[in-house]
Amino acid sequence: MGERDSRSDAGITRRDLFWGAGIAVGSAAIGDRVGQVVRTTEFETVVGSAIEPFYGEHQAGVRTGMQAHGVFVAYSFSTNCNSETLAGVLRVATSEAERLTRGEPGLSDTDPELAANPARLTITFGLGHTVFAVDSGMGLSSQRPIGFDELPAFSFDRLEPTWSEGDLLVHVAADDPLTVSHAVRHMTRVVSSIAKPHYAQRGFVRAQGVAPLADVPRNLFGHVDGVANPTTDAEFDSHIWAGADAGWFAGGTQLVLRRISMKLPEWDTLGSKDKEEAIGRRLSTGAPLTGKSVHDRPDFDAVNSRGLGVIPEFSHMRRAHTGEGRQRFLRRPFSFDDGFFPDGTPNVGMLFAAYQQNTTEQFLPVQQTLADFDILNLWTTPIGSSQFLILPGCDAGGFVGETLLG
Amino acid sequence: MFTRVAAIAVVASTAILASLTGCAGTPVDSTTPVVTDVWLRAIPDIEVDGDMTGMFMTVENTTDEDVYLIGGTTDGTYTSDALDAHEVVEVDGEMVMQDAEGGILIPAHGTTQLMPGGYHIMFWNLTQNIPVGADVHATLNFSNGTSVEVHAAAMTVEMGQETYVPNGSGMTP
Ligand code: HEM
Ligand SMILES: [Cu+2]
Repeated sequence: MGERDSRSDAGITRRDLFWGAGIAVGSAAIGDRVGQVVRTTEFETVVGSAIEPFYGEHQAGVRTGMQAHGVFVAYSFSTNCNSETLAGVLRVATSEAERLTRGEPGLSDTDPELAANPARLTITFGLGHTVFAVDSGMGLSSQRPIGFDELPAFSFDRLEPTWSEGDLLVHVAADDPLTVSHAVRHMTRVVSSIAKPHYAQRGFVRAQGVAPLADVPRNLFGHVDGVANPTTDAEFDSHIWAGADAGWFAGGTQLVLRRISMKLPEWDTLGSKDKEEAIGRRLSTGAPLTGKSVHDRPDFDAVNSRGLGVIPEFSHMRRAHTGEGRQRFLRRPFSFDDGFFPDGTPNVGMLFAAYQQNTTEQFLPVQQTLADFDILNLWTTPIGSSQFLILPGCDAGGFVGETLLG
Repeated sequence: MFTRVAAIAVVASTAILASLTGCAGTPVDSTTPVVTDVWLRAIPDIEVDGDMTGMFMTVENTTDEDVYLIGGTTDGTYTSDALDAHEVVEVDGEMVMQDAEGGILIPAHGTTQLMPGGYHIMFWNLTQNIPVGADVHATLNFSNGTSVEVHAAAMTVEMGQETYVPNGSGMTP
Protein backbone atom coordinates (compact mmCIF):
# COMPACT_ATOMS: atom_id res chain seq x y z
CA MET A 1 0.00 0.00 0.00
CA GLY A 2 1.90 2.92 -1.34
CA GLU A 3 0.17 5.58 0.70
CA ARG A 4 1.70 4.30 3.94
CA ASP A 5 5.07 5.97 3.70
CA SER A 6 6.20 4.66 7.06
CA ARG A 7 6.52 1.30 5.48
CA SER A 8 6.65 1.72 1.75
CA ASP A 9 9.68 3.98 1.69
CA ALA A 10 11.73 1.17 3.12
CA GLY A 11 10.55 -1.37 0.63
CA ILE A 12 9.33 -4.71 1.77
CA THR A 13 11.02 -4.73 5.12
CA ARG A 14 11.70 -1.84 7.37
CA ARG A 15 14.76 -2.14 9.53
CA ASP A 16 15.76 -0.56 12.77
CA LEU A 17 12.38 0.32 14.09
CA PHE A 18 12.64 1.22 17.71
CA TRP A 19 9.81 -1.00 18.33
CA GLY A 20 8.58 -4.11 20.12
CA ALA A 21 11.01 -6.52 21.75
CA GLY A 22 12.13 -6.02 25.31
CA ILE A 23 10.64 -8.75 27.40
CA ALA A 24 9.71 -11.01 24.54
CA VAL A 25 13.17 -11.40 23.11
CA GLY A 26 14.90 -14.49 24.36
CA SER A 27 11.86 -16.01 25.96
CA ALA A 28 9.92 -16.61 22.79
CA ALA A 29 10.26 -19.97 21.13
CA ILE A 30 11.00 -19.88 17.41
CA GLY A 31 7.90 -18.83 15.51
CA ASP A 32 5.84 -18.44 18.68
CA ARG A 33 3.41 -15.63 18.95
CA VAL A 34 4.09 -13.48 21.92
CA GLY A 35 1.16 -12.73 24.15
CA GLN A 36 -1.79 -14.63 25.50
CA VAL A 37 -0.19 -14.44 28.88
CA VAL A 38 -2.34 -14.65 31.95
CA ARG A 39 -1.04 -12.73 34.92
CA THR A 40 -1.71 -14.08 38.35
CA THR A 41 -1.58 -12.05 41.47
CA GLU A 42 -1.65 -14.42 44.37
CA PHE A 43 -1.29 -12.99 47.79
CA GLU A 44 0.42 -15.49 49.97
CA THR A 45 1.02 -13.92 53.34
CA VAL A 46 -0.53 -11.35 55.59
CA VAL A 47 2.57 -9.15 55.42
CA GLY A 48 2.92 -9.45 51.67
CA SER A 49 -0.70 -8.80 50.84
CA ALA A 50 -1.23 -5.83 53.13
CA ILE A 51 -2.35 -2.73 51.24
CA GLU A 52 -2.13 0.93 52.21
CA PRO A 53 -4.83 3.02 50.52
CA PHE A 54 -3.38 5.31 47.86
CA TYR A 55 -6.11 7.87 47.22
CA GLY A 56 -7.28 10.51 49.62
CA GLU A 57 -6.93 14.10 50.72
CA HIS A 58 -3.32 13.45 51.74
CA GLN A 59 -0.74 11.23 50.09
CA ALA A 60 0.06 7.98 51.85
CA GLY A 61 3.55 7.54 53.25
CA VAL A 62 3.46 10.40 55.75
CA ARG A 63 0.95 9.44 58.40
CA THR A 64 1.27 5.76 57.46
CA GLY A 65 2.78 3.57 60.15
CA MET A 66 6.43 3.26 59.20
CA GLN A 67 7.24 0.35 56.91
CA ALA A 68 10.37 -1.72 57.38
CA HIS A 69 12.12 -0.37 54.28
CA GLY A 70 12.08 3.14 52.91
CA VAL A 71 13.95 4.92 50.17
CA PHE A 72 13.95 8.56 49.21
CA VAL A 73 14.71 8.86 45.52
CA ALA A 74 15.48 12.37 44.30
CA TYR A 75 15.52 13.16 40.59
CA SER A 76 16.92 16.11 38.65
CA PHE A 77 14.78 17.60 35.94
CA SER A 78 15.97 17.36 32.36
CA THR A 79 15.92 20.52 30.26
CA ASN A 80 12.64 19.52 28.64
CA CYS A 81 10.80 19.61 31.95
CA ASN A 82 8.13 22.28 32.05
CA SER A 83 4.79 22.53 33.79
CA GLU A 84 3.12 20.71 30.91
CA THR A 85 5.50 17.74 30.64
CA LEU A 86 5.63 17.53 34.43
CA ALA A 87 1.83 17.34 34.60
CA GLY A 88 1.79 14.56 31.98
CA VAL A 89 4.39 12.57 33.87
CA LEU A 90 2.69 13.04 37.24
CA ARG A 91 -0.57 11.92 35.67
CA VAL A 92 0.81 8.55 34.60
CA ALA A 93 3.07 8.30 37.64
CA THR A 94 -0.01 8.60 39.85
CA SER A 95 -1.92 5.82 38.13
CA GLU A 96 1.12 3.56 37.91
CA ALA A 97 1.93 4.12 41.58
CA GLU A 98 -1.65 3.44 42.58
CA ARG A 99 -1.56 0.12 40.74
CA LEU A 100 1.67 -0.93 42.39
CA THR A 101 0.33 -0.15 45.85
CA ARG A 102 -2.55 -2.57 45.12
CA GLY A 103 -0.16 -5.32 44.06
CA GLU A 104 -0.99 -4.79 40.38
CA PRO A 105 1.91 -4.41 37.98
CA GLY A 106 2.27 -1.02 36.34
CA LEU A 107 0.90 -0.94 32.81
CA SER A 108 4.37 -0.45 31.36
CA ASP A 109 5.96 -2.73 33.97
CA THR A 110 8.67 -4.92 32.51
CA ASP A 111 8.65 -7.20 35.56
CA PRO A 112 5.03 -7.78 36.52
CA GLU A 113 5.93 -10.72 38.75
CA LEU A 114 7.76 -8.40 41.12
CA ALA A 115 4.62 -6.39 41.81
CA ALA A 116 2.58 -9.18 43.35
CA ASN A 117 3.23 -8.46 47.03
CA PRO A 118 2.61 -4.83 47.93
CA ALA A 119 3.53 -5.31 51.62
CA ARG A 120 2.01 -1.92 52.60
CA LEU A 121 3.74 -0.19 49.71
CA THR A 122 3.43 3.58 49.64
CA ILE A 123 4.72 5.84 46.86
CA THR A 124 4.80 9.50 47.77
CA PHE A 125 5.57 12.39 45.41
CA GLY A 126 7.27 15.65 46.24
CA LEU A 127 8.69 18.68 44.45
CA GLY A 128 11.87 20.57 45.26
CA HIS A 129 12.58 24.30 45.36
CA THR A 130 13.65 24.54 41.73
CA VAL A 131 10.06 24.14 40.57
CA PHE A 132 9.26 27.53 42.07
CA ALA A 133 12.45 29.27 41.06
CA VAL A 134 11.88 32.32 38.87
CA ASP A 135 14.38 31.01 36.30
CA SER A 136 13.02 27.45 36.22
CA GLY A 137 10.91 28.21 33.17
CA MET A 138 7.97 26.54 34.88
CA GLY A 139 6.06 29.74 35.50
CA LEU A 140 5.20 28.62 39.02
CA SER A 141 7.25 31.05 41.08
CA SER A 142 4.13 32.71 42.49
CA GLN A 143 2.83 29.36 43.74
CA ARG A 144 5.50 28.66 46.36
CA PRO A 145 3.77 27.73 49.62
CA ILE A 146 4.34 29.89 52.68
CA GLY A 147 7.23 28.73 54.85
CA PHE A 148 8.84 26.63 52.12
CA ASP A 149 12.03 28.66 52.31
CA GLU A 150 15.50 27.34 51.78
CA LEU A 151 17.16 26.45 55.06
CA PRO A 152 20.29 28.38 55.97
CA ALA A 153 23.64 26.64 56.32
CA PHE A 154 24.13 25.45 59.90
CA SER A 155 27.52 25.58 61.60
CA PHE A 156 27.73 21.82 62.06
CA ASP A 157 26.68 20.98 58.50
CA ARG A 158 29.11 19.00 56.36
CA LEU A 159 26.73 18.68 53.45
CA GLU A 160 27.69 16.62 50.42
CA PRO A 161 26.07 17.50 47.08
CA THR A 162 25.47 13.79 46.48
CA TRP A 163 22.94 13.75 49.33
CA SER A 164 21.42 17.19 48.93
CA GLU A 165 18.79 19.02 46.91
CA GLY A 166 16.72 17.31 44.18
CA ASP A 167 13.89 18.53 41.92
CA LEU A 168 11.46 15.64 42.19
CA LEU A 169 11.06 13.22 45.07
CA VAL A 170 9.62 9.75 44.94
CA HIS A 171 9.55 8.31 48.42
CA VAL A 172 8.91 4.57 48.33
CA ALA A 173 8.38 2.43 51.41
CA ALA A 174 7.12 -1.09 52.07
CA ASP A 175 7.62 -3.99 54.41
CA ASP A 176 9.58 -5.83 51.73
CA PRO A 177 12.86 -4.74 50.13
CA LEU A 178 12.16 -6.45 46.81
CA THR A 179 8.85 -4.61 46.53
CA VAL A 180 10.62 -1.33 47.25
CA SER A 181 13.34 -2.03 44.70
CA HIS A 182 10.84 -2.92 42.00
CA ALA A 183 8.69 0.14 42.68
CA VAL A 184 11.72 2.42 42.48
CA ARG A 185 12.78 0.84 39.22
CA HIS A 186 9.36 1.24 37.72
CA MET A 187 8.78 4.78 38.93
CA THR A 188 12.21 5.74 37.59
CA ARG A 189 11.10 4.44 34.20
CA VAL A 190 7.81 6.32 34.44
CA VAL A 191 9.47 9.69 35.12
CA SER A 192 12.46 9.09 32.83
CA SER A 193 11.24 11.38 30.04
CA ILE A 194 11.71 14.46 32.23
CA ALA A 195 13.94 13.50 35.17
CA LYS A 196 17.11 11.54 35.89
CA PRO A 197 17.99 9.96 39.23
CA HIS A 198 20.07 12.14 41.54
CA TYR A 199 20.22 10.00 44.67
CA ALA A 200 18.55 7.12 46.42
CA GLN A 201 18.76 7.22 50.21
CA ARG A 202 17.78 3.88 51.57
CA GLY A 203 16.84 3.20 55.17
CA PHE A 204 15.08 0.78 57.43
CA VAL A 205 13.36 0.27 60.73
CA ARG A 206 12.31 -3.13 61.99
CA ALA A 207 10.93 -5.88 59.80
CA GLN A 208 7.21 -6.48 60.10
CA GLY A 209 6.32 -9.11 62.68
CA VAL A 210 9.51 -8.75 64.69
CA ALA A 211 8.13 -6.43 67.33
CA PRO A 212 4.61 -5.37 68.30
CA LEU A 213 3.25 -2.73 65.93
CA ALA A 214 2.76 -0.29 68.78
CA ASP A 215 6.47 -0.36 69.61
CA VAL A 216 8.33 2.81 68.78
CA PRO A 217 11.22 2.01 66.40
CA ARG A 218 14.81 2.17 67.67
CA ASN A 219 17.66 4.02 66.02
CA LEU A 220 21.26 2.80 65.73
CA PHE A 221 22.19 4.45 69.05
CA GLY A 222 19.81 1.92 70.59
CA HIS A 223 17.25 4.52 71.64
CA VAL A 224 13.56 4.42 70.86
CA ASP A 225 13.01 7.21 68.35
CA GLY A 226 9.71 8.81 67.39
CA VAL A 227 7.94 8.98 70.75
CA ALA A 228 7.10 12.65 70.87
CA ASN A 229 5.17 12.67 67.61
CA PRO A 230 1.75 14.00 66.68
CA THR A 231 -0.80 11.21 66.35
CA THR A 232 -4.34 12.60 66.30
CA ASP A 233 -6.31 14.11 63.41
CA ALA A 234 -6.41 17.40 65.23
CA GLU A 235 -2.62 17.45 65.66
CA PHE A 236 -2.05 16.60 62.00
CA ASP A 237 -4.47 19.32 60.90
CA SER A 238 -2.92 21.95 63.13
CA HIS A 239 0.77 21.10 62.58
CA ILE A 240 1.43 18.78 59.62
CA TRP A 241 -1.08 19.15 56.78
CA ALA A 242 -1.35 22.46 54.97
CA GLY A 243 -4.80 23.93 55.63
CA ALA A 244 -7.46 25.37 53.34
CA ASP A 245 -5.69 28.74 53.43
CA ALA A 246 -2.78 27.17 51.56
CA GLY A 247 -4.71 27.21 48.27
CA TRP A 248 -3.46 24.61 45.81
CA PHE A 249 -1.20 23.15 48.51
CA ALA A 250 -4.01 22.34 50.98
CA GLY A 251 -3.56 18.76 52.17
CA GLY A 252 0.16 18.71 51.42
CA THR A 253 3.06 18.96 53.83
CA GLN A 254 6.66 20.19 53.79
CA LEU A 255 9.46 17.65 54.14
CA VAL A 256 12.97 18.28 55.37
CA LEU A 257 15.20 15.28 54.76
CA ARG A 258 18.52 15.37 56.58
CA ARG A 259 21.12 12.66 56.12
CA ILE A 260 22.89 12.44 59.45
CA SER A 261 25.94 10.25 59.87
CA MET A 262 26.43 8.68 63.29
CA LYS A 263 29.85 8.10 64.87
CA LEU A 264 29.11 4.71 66.35
CA PRO A 265 32.67 3.84 67.47
CA GLU A 266 32.75 7.00 69.65
CA TRP A 267 29.22 6.46 70.88
CA ASP A 268 30.16 2.88 71.82
CA THR A 269 32.75 4.18 74.30
CA LEU A 270 29.96 5.68 76.44
CA GLY A 271 28.46 3.90 79.40
CA SER A 272 24.72 3.43 79.40
CA LYS A 273 24.18 6.28 81.89
CA ASP A 274 25.87 8.72 79.51
CA LYS A 275 23.92 7.34 76.59
CA GLU A 276 20.67 7.83 78.49
CA GLU A 277 21.52 11.35 79.61
CA ALA A 278 22.57 12.36 76.08
CA ILE A 279 18.97 11.83 75.03
CA GLY A 280 17.04 12.08 78.29
CA ARG A 281 15.44 8.65 78.03
CA ARG A 282 16.16 5.13 79.28
CA LEU A 283 17.62 2.68 76.79
CA SER A 284 15.70 -0.31 78.16
CA THR A 285 12.15 1.01 78.17
CA GLY A 286 12.47 4.27 76.30
CA ALA A 287 10.87 6.00 79.28
CA PRO A 288 11.89 9.59 79.97
CA LEU A 289 14.42 9.78 82.83
CA THR A 290 11.57 11.20 84.91
CA GLY A 291 9.14 8.38 84.11
CA LYS A 292 8.52 4.65 84.08
CA SER A 293 7.20 3.84 80.62
CA VAL A 294 7.88 5.11 77.15
CA HIS A 295 4.75 7.22 76.74
CA ASP A 296 5.02 8.93 80.13
CA ARG A 297 5.18 12.68 79.71
CA PRO A 298 8.73 13.89 80.37
CA ASP A 299 8.98 16.20 83.42
CA PHE A 300 11.45 18.87 82.38
CA ASP A 301 11.12 20.62 85.77
CA ALA A 302 12.23 17.65 87.87
CA VAL A 303 15.62 18.22 89.52
CA ASN A 304 18.01 15.85 91.28
CA SER A 305 19.65 16.28 94.72
CA ARG A 306 22.26 18.62 93.21
CA GLY A 307 19.56 20.81 91.74
CA LEU A 308 20.24 19.79 88.16
CA GLY A 309 17.58 18.66 85.72
CA VAL A 310 16.85 14.93 85.86
CA ILE A 311 16.50 15.32 82.11
CA PRO A 312 19.83 17.12 81.67
CA GLU A 313 20.02 20.65 80.25
CA PHE A 314 22.34 19.36 77.51
CA SER A 315 20.12 16.42 76.54
CA HIS A 316 18.83 16.16 73.01
CA MET A 317 15.26 15.72 74.17
CA ARG A 318 15.28 18.91 76.24
CA ARG A 319 17.02 20.95 73.54
CA ALA A 320 14.62 19.68 70.87
CA HIS A 321 11.49 19.80 72.99
CA THR A 322 8.64 21.72 71.42
CA GLY A 323 5.79 20.63 73.66
CA GLU A 324 2.41 21.25 72.07
CA GLY A 325 3.69 24.51 70.60
CA ARG A 326 3.70 25.74 67.03
CA GLN A 327 7.09 24.20 66.27
CA ARG A 328 5.93 20.63 66.71
CA PHE A 329 6.50 18.47 63.62
CA LEU A 330 6.33 14.82 62.57
CA ARG A 331 9.55 12.79 62.68
CA ARG A 332 9.82 9.64 60.56
CA PRO A 333 13.44 8.60 60.86
CA PHE A 334 14.86 5.62 58.97
CA SER A 335 18.28 4.20 59.89
CA PHE A 336 20.86 3.53 57.22
CA ASP A 337 23.76 1.10 57.35
CA ASP A 338 25.78 1.25 54.17
CA GLY A 339 28.77 -0.78 55.34
CA PHE A 340 32.19 0.73 55.98
CA PHE A 341 34.34 3.52 54.63
CA PRO A 342 37.76 2.49 53.28
CA ASP A 343 39.34 3.43 56.63
CA GLY A 344 37.11 0.96 58.43
CA THR A 345 34.71 3.40 60.07
CA PRO A 346 31.07 2.46 59.69
CA ASN A 347 28.98 4.31 57.12
CA VAL A 348 25.86 4.49 59.25
CA GLY A 349 23.32 7.02 60.36
CA MET A 350 19.82 8.27 60.08
CA LEU A 351 17.58 9.56 57.31
CA PHE A 352 15.92 12.20 59.43
CA ALA A 353 12.60 13.02 57.79
CA ALA A 354 10.60 15.86 59.34
CA TYR A 355 7.15 16.86 58.06
CA GLN A 356 5.46 20.14 58.89
CA GLN A 357 3.05 22.78 57.61
CA ASN A 358 5.68 25.48 57.59
CA THR A 359 9.40 24.74 57.49
CA THR A 360 10.47 28.22 58.55
CA GLU A 361 8.16 28.42 61.55
CA GLN A 362 8.46 24.86 62.77
CA PHE A 363 11.57 22.98 61.67
CA LEU A 364 14.00 25.87 61.40
CA PRO A 365 13.93 27.11 65.03
CA VAL A 366 14.30 23.57 66.42
CA GLN A 367 17.18 22.79 64.07
CA GLN A 368 18.80 26.15 64.94
CA THR A 369 18.58 25.38 68.66
CA LEU A 370 20.20 22.00 68.10
CA ALA A 371 22.88 23.49 65.86
CA ASP A 372 23.68 26.04 68.58
CA PHE A 373 24.06 23.29 71.11
CA ASP A 374 23.11 19.63 71.34
CA ILE A 375 25.21 17.01 73.09
CA LEU A 376 24.26 14.62 70.28
CA ASN A 377 26.35 16.75 67.92
CA LEU A 378 29.40 15.02 69.40
CA TRP A 379 28.32 11.85 67.69
CA THR A 380 26.31 13.07 64.71
CA THR A 381 27.09 15.05 61.53
CA PRO A 382 24.54 16.24 58.95
CA ILE A 383 25.92 15.25 55.54
CA GLY A 384 22.88 15.78 53.36
CA SER A 385 19.91 18.13 53.27
CA SER A 386 16.91 18.28 50.93
CA GLN A 387 13.55 19.95 51.08
CA PHE A 388 10.46 18.79 49.26
CA LEU A 389 6.84 19.75 49.11
CA ILE A 390 4.86 16.59 49.60
CA LEU A 391 1.98 17.24 47.21
CA PRO A 392 -1.64 17.00 48.32
CA GLY A 393 -3.32 13.65 47.71
CA CYS A 394 -5.87 12.98 44.99
CA ASP A 395 -8.93 10.87 44.33
CA ALA A 396 -9.39 8.15 41.71
CA GLY A 397 -9.37 9.74 38.27
CA GLY A 398 -7.24 12.65 39.44
CA PHE A 399 -3.48 12.92 39.81
CA VAL A 400 -1.02 13.99 42.43
CA GLY A 401 -0.05 17.54 41.52
CA GLU A 402 -3.33 18.37 39.77
CA THR A 403 -4.08 21.32 42.02
CA LEU A 404 -0.81 22.94 40.96
CA LEU A 405 -0.51 21.78 37.36
CA GLY A 406 -3.89 20.48 36.28
CA MET B 1 -4.76 -5.56 2.91
CA PHE B 2 -7.31 -7.99 4.18
CA THR B 3 -7.06 -6.54 7.65
CA ARG B 4 -7.66 -3.02 6.49
CA VAL B 5 -10.68 -3.86 4.38
CA ALA B 6 -12.20 -5.90 7.16
CA ALA B 7 -11.63 -3.07 9.59
CA ILE B 8 -13.47 -0.64 7.39
CA ALA B 9 -16.28 -3.09 6.75
CA VAL B 10 -17.18 -3.55 10.39
CA VAL B 11 -17.37 0.11 11.27
CA ALA B 12 -20.83 0.47 9.81
CA SER B 13 -22.30 -2.34 11.87
CA THR B 14 -20.68 -1.23 15.04
CA ALA B 15 -21.93 0.00 18.35
CA ILE B 16 -19.49 2.74 19.28
CA LEU B 17 -18.99 3.06 22.97
CA ALA B 18 -18.24 6.06 25.06
CA SER B 19 -15.63 5.67 27.74
CA LEU B 20 -13.87 7.55 30.48
CA THR B 21 -10.46 9.04 29.95
CA GLY B 22 -7.70 6.60 30.79
CA CYS B 23 -10.13 3.76 31.09
CA ALA B 24 -11.31 1.17 28.69
CA GLY B 25 -14.71 0.87 27.14
CA THR B 26 -17.48 -1.02 28.81
CA PRO B 27 -19.34 -3.47 26.62
CA VAL B 28 -23.00 -2.76 25.90
CA ASP B 29 -23.67 -6.41 25.27
CA SER B 30 -21.99 -9.68 26.11
CA THR B 31 -20.53 -10.18 22.62
CA THR B 32 -18.33 -7.11 22.86
CA PRO B 33 -14.88 -7.98 24.21
CA VAL B 34 -13.84 -6.26 27.44
CA VAL B 35 -10.82 -4.04 26.98
CA THR B 36 -8.86 -2.91 30.04
CA ASP B 37 -5.45 -1.51 30.98
CA VAL B 38 -4.99 0.40 27.74
CA TRP B 39 -1.77 2.36 27.26
CA LEU B 40 0.50 3.50 24.53
CA ARG B 41 4.19 4.05 24.04
CA ALA B 42 4.88 7.78 24.28
CA ILE B 43 6.74 9.40 21.39
CA PRO B 44 7.95 12.65 23.00
CA ASP B 45 9.90 13.56 19.86
CA ILE B 46 9.02 12.09 16.47
CA GLU B 47 12.44 13.10 15.09
CA VAL B 48 14.23 11.03 17.72
CA ASP B 49 11.75 8.32 18.57
CA GLY B 50 10.33 7.62 15.12
CA ASP B 51 6.90 8.38 13.71
CA MET B 52 5.14 5.24 14.84
CA THR B 53 4.00 3.70 18.04
CA GLY B 54 1.86 0.95 19.45
CA MET B 55 -1.00 0.59 21.85
CA PHE B 56 -1.27 -2.17 24.44
CA MET B 57 -4.13 -3.56 26.48
CA THR B 58 -5.78 -6.58 27.93
CA VAL B 59 -8.73 -7.98 25.98
CA GLU B 60 -11.17 -10.45 27.42
CA ASN B 61 -13.65 -12.48 25.40
CA THR B 62 -16.60 -13.67 27.47
CA THR B 63 -18.36 -15.44 24.60
CA ASP B 64 -18.31 -19.05 23.42
CA GLU B 65 -16.80 -18.04 20.08
CA ASP B 66 -13.25 -17.01 19.25
CA VAL B 67 -13.02 -13.33 18.36
CA TYR B 68 -10.26 -11.46 16.53
CA LEU B 69 -9.11 -7.92 17.19
CA ILE B 70 -8.69 -6.84 13.60
CA GLY B 71 -7.56 -3.24 13.85
CA GLY B 72 -8.99 0.16 14.47
CA THR B 73 -9.24 3.84 13.76
CA THR B 74 -8.46 7.00 15.71
CA ASP B 75 -9.94 10.45 15.93
CA GLY B 76 -7.05 11.65 13.77
CA THR B 77 -5.25 13.67 16.43
CA TYR B 78 -1.97 11.82 16.07
CA THR B 79 -2.35 9.97 12.76
CA SER B 80 -4.86 9.80 9.97
CA ASP B 81 -3.92 6.21 9.14
CA ALA B 82 -5.96 3.19 10.12
CA LEU B 83 -4.57 1.19 13.04
CA ASP B 84 -3.23 -2.28 12.31
CA ALA B 85 -3.30 -5.36 14.50
CA HIS B 86 0.29 -6.58 14.75
CA GLU B 87 2.06 -9.59 16.13
CA VAL B 88 5.73 -10.18 16.84
CA VAL B 89 7.35 -13.35 15.62
CA GLU B 90 10.87 -14.64 15.35
CA VAL B 91 12.13 -15.00 11.81
CA ASP B 92 15.66 -16.25 11.21
CA GLY B 93 16.60 -15.45 14.77
CA GLU B 94 15.30 -11.92 14.57
CA MET B 95 12.20 -10.50 16.24
CA VAL B 96 9.96 -8.97 13.63
CA MET B 97 6.49 -7.49 13.71
CA GLN B 98 3.92 -8.09 11.05
CA ASP B 99 0.18 -7.96 10.48
CA ALA B 100 -1.53 -10.50 12.66
CA GLU B 101 -3.11 -12.62 9.91
CA GLY B 102 -6.85 -12.40 10.41
CA GLY B 103 -6.35 -10.31 13.54
CA ILE B 104 -5.28 -10.96 17.13
CA LEU B 105 -7.00 -14.00 18.55
CA ILE B 106 -9.05 -13.52 21.69
CA PRO B 107 -10.01 -17.10 22.45
CA ALA B 108 -13.51 -18.00 23.60
CA HIS B 109 -13.65 -17.36 27.36
CA GLY B 110 -10.04 -16.26 27.18
CA THR B 111 -7.90 -13.20 27.64
CA THR B 112 -5.15 -11.89 25.39
CA GLN B 113 -2.59 -9.39 26.46
CA LEU B 114 -1.15 -6.88 24.03
CA MET B 115 2.25 -5.80 25.26
CA PRO B 116 5.65 -4.52 24.14
CA GLY B 117 7.42 -7.27 22.26
CA GLY B 118 4.12 -8.99 21.49
CA TYR B 119 0.73 -8.18 20.05
CA HIS B 120 0.02 -4.51 19.64
CA ILE B 121 -2.16 -2.04 17.79
CA MET B 122 0.12 -0.19 15.41
CA PHE B 123 -0.01 3.57 14.84
CA TRP B 124 1.71 4.64 11.60
CA ASN B 125 2.80 8.03 10.28
CA LEU B 126 2.38 10.07 13.43
CA THR B 127 1.72 13.68 12.63
CA GLN B 128 2.68 15.04 16.04
CA ASN B 129 4.59 14.12 19.18
CA ILE B 130 2.85 12.05 21.82
CA PRO B 131 4.18 13.29 25.16
CA VAL B 132 4.06 11.18 28.32
CA GLY B 133 0.63 11.49 29.88
CA ALA B 134 -1.13 12.31 26.58
CA ASP B 135 -4.59 10.85 26.19
CA VAL B 136 -4.80 8.95 22.92
CA HIS B 137 -8.07 7.81 21.42
CA ALA B 138 -8.77 4.67 19.42
CA THR B 139 -11.76 2.71 18.21
CA LEU B 140 -10.94 -0.99 18.20
CA ASN B 141 -12.73 -3.29 15.80
CA PHE B 142 -13.42 -6.97 16.30
CA SER B 143 -14.20 -9.77 13.89
CA ASN B 144 -17.70 -10.26 15.32
CA GLY B 145 -18.68 -6.77 14.22
CA THR B 146 -18.33 -5.12 17.60
CA SER B 147 -16.17 -2.12 18.45
CA VAL B 148 -14.78 -0.58 21.61
CA GLU B 149 -13.66 2.99 22.09
CA VAL B 150 -10.65 3.43 24.32
CA HIS B 151 -8.42 6.15 25.69
CA ALA B 152 -4.81 5.27 26.38
CA ALA B 153 -2.33 7.16 28.51
CA ALA B 154 1.06 7.55 26.83
CA MET B 155 4.01 6.21 28.81
CA THR B 156 7.72 5.62 28.54
CA VAL B 157 8.89 2.10 27.88
CA GLU B 158 12.26 0.62 27.08
CA MET B 159 12.15 -0.88 23.63
CA GLY B 160 14.27 -3.26 21.67
CA GLN B 161 14.65 -3.03 17.95
CA GLU B 162 12.32 -4.89 15.69
CA THR B 163 11.96 -5.17 12.00
CA TYR B 164 8.70 -4.83 10.17
CA VAL B 165 8.05 -7.54 7.61
CA PRO B 166 4.80 -7.73 5.72
CA ASN B 167 3.04 -11.06 5.69
CA GLY B 168 3.60 -13.11 2.54
CA SER B 169 6.51 -12.62 0.22
CA GLY B 170 6.83 -9.59 -1.93
CA MET B 171 3.59 -8.02 -0.74
CA THR B 172 3.20 -4.80 1.05
CA PRO B 173 0.41 -5.09 3.57
C1 HEM C 1 21.10 11.27 64.28
C2 HEM C 1 20.40 12.26 64.73
C3 HEM C 1 19.30 12.16 65.78
C4 HEM C 1 19.07 11.19 66.70
C5 HEM C 1 19.85 9.92 66.92
C6 HEM C 1 17.90 11.60 67.45
C7 HEM C 1 17.33 10.85 68.47
C8 HEM C 1 16.25 11.25 69.21
C9 HEM C 1 15.70 10.50 70.31
C10 HEM C 1 16.21 9.17 70.78
C11 HEM C 1 14.67 11.21 70.81
C12 HEM C 1 13.81 10.85 72.01
C13 HEM C 1 12.65 9.99 71.71
C14 HEM C 1 11.56 10.65 70.93
O1 HEM C 1 10.87 11.55 71.41
O2 HEM C 1 11.41 10.29 69.79
C15 HEM C 1 14.54 12.40 70.02
C16 HEM C 1 13.61 13.36 70.20
C17 HEM C 1 13.47 14.45 69.40
N1 HEM C 1 14.31 14.82 68.39
FE1 HEM C 1 15.90 13.84 67.72
N2 HEM C 1 17.45 12.78 66.97
C18 HEM C 1 18.29 13.17 65.96
C19 HEM C 1 18.20 14.32 65.21
C20 HEM C 1 17.24 15.27 65.37
C21 HEM C 1 17.11 16.44 64.57
C22 HEM C 1 18.03 16.81 63.40
C23 HEM C 1 16.03 17.11 65.02
C24 HEM C 1 15.41 18.39 64.55
C25 HEM C 1 15.96 19.26 63.78
C26 HEM C 1 15.47 16.33 66.10
C27 HEM C 1 14.33 16.68 66.81
C28 HEM C 1 13.80 15.97 67.84
C29 HEM C 1 12.58 16.34 68.52
C30 HEM C 1 11.71 17.53 68.21
C31 HEM C 1 12.38 15.40 69.51
C32 HEM C 1 11.25 15.35 70.52
C33 HEM C 1 11.62 16.07 71.75
C34 HEM C 1 10.49 16.08 72.74
O3 HEM C 1 9.65 16.97 72.61
O4 HEM C 1 10.43 15.19 73.57
N3 HEM C 1 16.24 15.24 66.29
N4 HEM C 1 15.53 12.40 69.05
CU1 LIG D 1 3.80 -2.98 14.80
